[in-house]
Amino acid sequence: MVMKKIFTGLMVFVGLMSFAGCDKIEPEEYTVYDGAMIEWETGSANLPAVQRVYVEKYTGPRCSNCPTADVTLDAIHNDNVVIVSINHPTGQGTPYPNQPDMRTVGGTVWDNYFGINAIPAAYVNRDRSTQYLGDMANIGSAINEALATVPQIAIEVEAIEVNGSVYVNTHLDYKQDIPDVLTLTVALVEDSVVYRQLLPDNSIDDNYAHNHMLRKVVTSYWGRDIEASGKKETKLVGSLNLMLPSDVELEHCHIVAFVSNKASRKVLNVASCEIQ
Amino acid sequence: MVLTAAAVTAQAQGIMGGHVTGNVQVDGQMSRADSVIGAQDVPEKLLMNARADILYTNGDFSAGLRFEMYENPLLGFDPQYKGEGLANYFVSYNGEKLSITAGNFYEQFGSGMILRTYEDRYLGLDNSLRGVNVTLRPFDGVTIKALAGKQRCYWYYGDGLVRGVDGEVSLNSVLPFLADSKFHATIGGGFVSKYEDDENIPSYINPEERLNLPLNVGAGSVRADLGYGNWSLQAEYARKGQDPSAMNGYIYRPGQGLLLNLTYSQRGFSAGIQAKRIDNMGFKSVRSQSGEMLYINYLPAITKNHTYAFLSMYPYATQVNGEQGLQADVMYKFKKGTFLGGEYGTDVHVNSSVVYGLDTTVTGFAGTDGYDVNSGVGQTLYGDVSVELAKKLSKTVKLTTTYAYQVFNPVVENEPGSLHHNNIVVADLSWKVSKKHSLRFEAEWMGSDSHYDADDPEHSDRRAGDWLMGLVEWNIGTHWFVSASDQWAYNDGVGNYYNLSVGYTHGATRLQVGYGKQREGLLCIGGVCRLVPASNGLTFSLTTSF
Repeated sequence: MVMKKIFTGLMVFVGLMSFAGCDKIEPEEYTVYDGAMIEWETGSANLPAVQRVYVEKYTGPRCSNCPTADVTLDAIHNDNVVIVSINHPTGQGTPYPNQPDMRTVGGTVWDNYFGINAIPAAYVNRDRSTQYLGDMANIGSAINEALATVPQIAIEVEAIEVNGSVYVNTHLDYKQDIPDVLTLTVALVEDSVVYRQLLPDNSIDDNYAHNHMLRKVVTSYWGRDIEASGKKETKLVGSLNLMLPSDVELEHCHIVAFVSNKASRKVLNVASCEIQ
Repeated sequence: MVLTAAAVTAQAQGIMGGHVTGNVQVDGQMSRADSVIGAQDVPEKLLMNARADILYTNGDFSAGLRFEMYENPLLGFDPQYKGEGLANYFVSYNGEKLSITAGNFYEQFGSGMILRTYEDRYLGLDNSLRGVNVTLRPFDGVTIKALAGKQRCYWYYGDGLVRGVDGEVSLNSVLPFLADSKFHATIGGGFVSKYEDDENIPSYINPEERLNLPLNVGAGSVRADLGYGNWSLQAEYARKGQDPSAMNGYIYRPGQGLLLNLTYSQRGFSAGIQAKRIDNMGFKSVRSQSGEMLYINYLPAITKNHTYAFLSMYPYATQVNGEQGLQADVMYKFKKGTFLGGEYGTDVHVNSSVVYGLDTTVTGFAGTDGYDVNSGVGQTLYGDVSVELAKKLSKTVKLTTTYAYQVFNPVVENEPGSLHHNNIVVADLSWKVSKKHSLRFEAEWMGSDSHYDADDPEHSDRRAGDWLMGLVEWNIGTHWFVSASDQWAYNDGVGNYYNLSVGYTHGATRLQVGYGKQREGLLCIGGVCRLVPASNGLTFSLTTSF
């Protein structure tokens, strides 16, 4: 009997080893941005069940159609539609000489992941099934559809600057049971960044104001795991801080925080705030 | 010594019906500076390694411990060994169907390609696991092993947690129709997983990034041991998951290894051929560890482990990041009374091995897959052929002669330089003068195309050049022996390394004292090597067991 128990125990051990014994990392994830760590605490605030939409737009200064997409998205933009513009790393994304280089390492990682080969391009909540190109004519209905969904998780973010350091608190409130592993990504974006842009008529505007530009992914590129059970009514506060880059204007900066599914990378909800 | 005395007392008295055995070894060294051979002064004058193994056995139960002291470590042993204490202890139950060990233990799965923990005092190597090891033999011919623990590294234990399972089945035992067959087959397989916490290893491509390290690294192998009549075939294939480490430059390429060993033997004749190919198979429990410590696995050497001084002057060190090679070995005994066998017979032993690197195309560095492997062979790393004739000339005289040709690439020692080509001749004559006295004479010559650069001794290889060696060994009665030897780099080299030693043996106790010069070089055992620096002075060694 004892022998049978030991034999059974060994077989269970073998089974566990087979499942848990080896991690596999995909080539695009061999390196990660060593972003800010998040300190998690139990939260107490009941957040309003607000569903916002995350729009990830890929753009470039040498892209003549990008200003048209900007017009479309700026018209849709409001408190519940959070836009992040990412400078495509090559081709039409290449900066003009003596102009600011808005390309970022994090943005390039995302660009490569989505396989962006033409700009302007955008995704709604990182749903890879539909990519919006050109003038983004159909993106409005997709955004409205996303806004109408019942939020699985509520999110709010607040940020304060002290002597060049920005302290960011992100509040999360699970409105449903979510068994999947979720991640929180925090990014620094900047509005009204003025630099040269090719226009639809192929003229050049040296004073084009670029909005929602990604300046830095503060966490690791694909976010930090949210340390929670995933049960409904779980409340958390994630805190981190970052040093403000020297080439940004504080009054034009926003912090964007979004929750995504770690496996599918789809965004569940997003929040944005100015830096106080 | 205190331990020894206590153990002897315990043995004499017996402990609860059990008995105590053990052994003690003390090695000492005094060395002074010698600029010609590159020996450094030893500030503490006397270096000493000492150890005492004590084993208590009572039926199926056993317990043991090992005390070690390195004050200070002998030249060539890592200074991190400095200190003394209980280095190893365990309790063990060894039943018919079940064995359990808690504490330090040594274990091997198959040939060791995915797991082998062992200790070699001459290499200064001990990668024992401290944890739990269970071996189950539920049925005749079936063995299952499971283990978990952390590995010893000098006086501490590495953070990596090692877990492993292994199973082996003798088909002749479990399949009735094979029970009496001439065909013998044993099959097996194992899996080892290492867990290690994350750490910040920066990407060399982008300083803003760090490596996304696998925390769990697995390695598995399958093997077969087949035999039919005089034929025998052992085969093992191993594969390792992504394991970026200091050894491989933090690349993510999975590892794999293949070992094949085919032998044929009959009375008076045996032949074997071995093939080996490994690709990124270094497997350590701590990814940032370089050097020889904390290896979970062992990659068997495919070259002959020579014992004569010049034959082993350029030993081959296994290249864990990639190598492929072949070894062939033939032994034949010409019978007595034949033309070549003469009155007493003649033994002929021919061995040859060749090792190449992998033919690779580099695709990146840290944080990438590193390289692609092409179908050809890479650079020559090592090759040798040796022919040994052993013949008894009379009832009291035996002569062994060896000729060997070696090709050695300094890259195996991470040194620059072109291939060395060595021709070596050895004559070894043993003469039993009387019942109580015997003499042994050994003469060696090595011609090498390597050169010693006297203008740059710091970066020159003191093994270079052409060498002569002579040795005389006199065994006096059953207790004493005296030997004298000299190795002389007579051309294109440097150094004259003389040695005198005297030894006394009484029962299980042996004391040896030597004086002379030790050449700088590598000491390799089974492809695993330790650098032995030059020394000039006195050595002594005391071993005893009880």
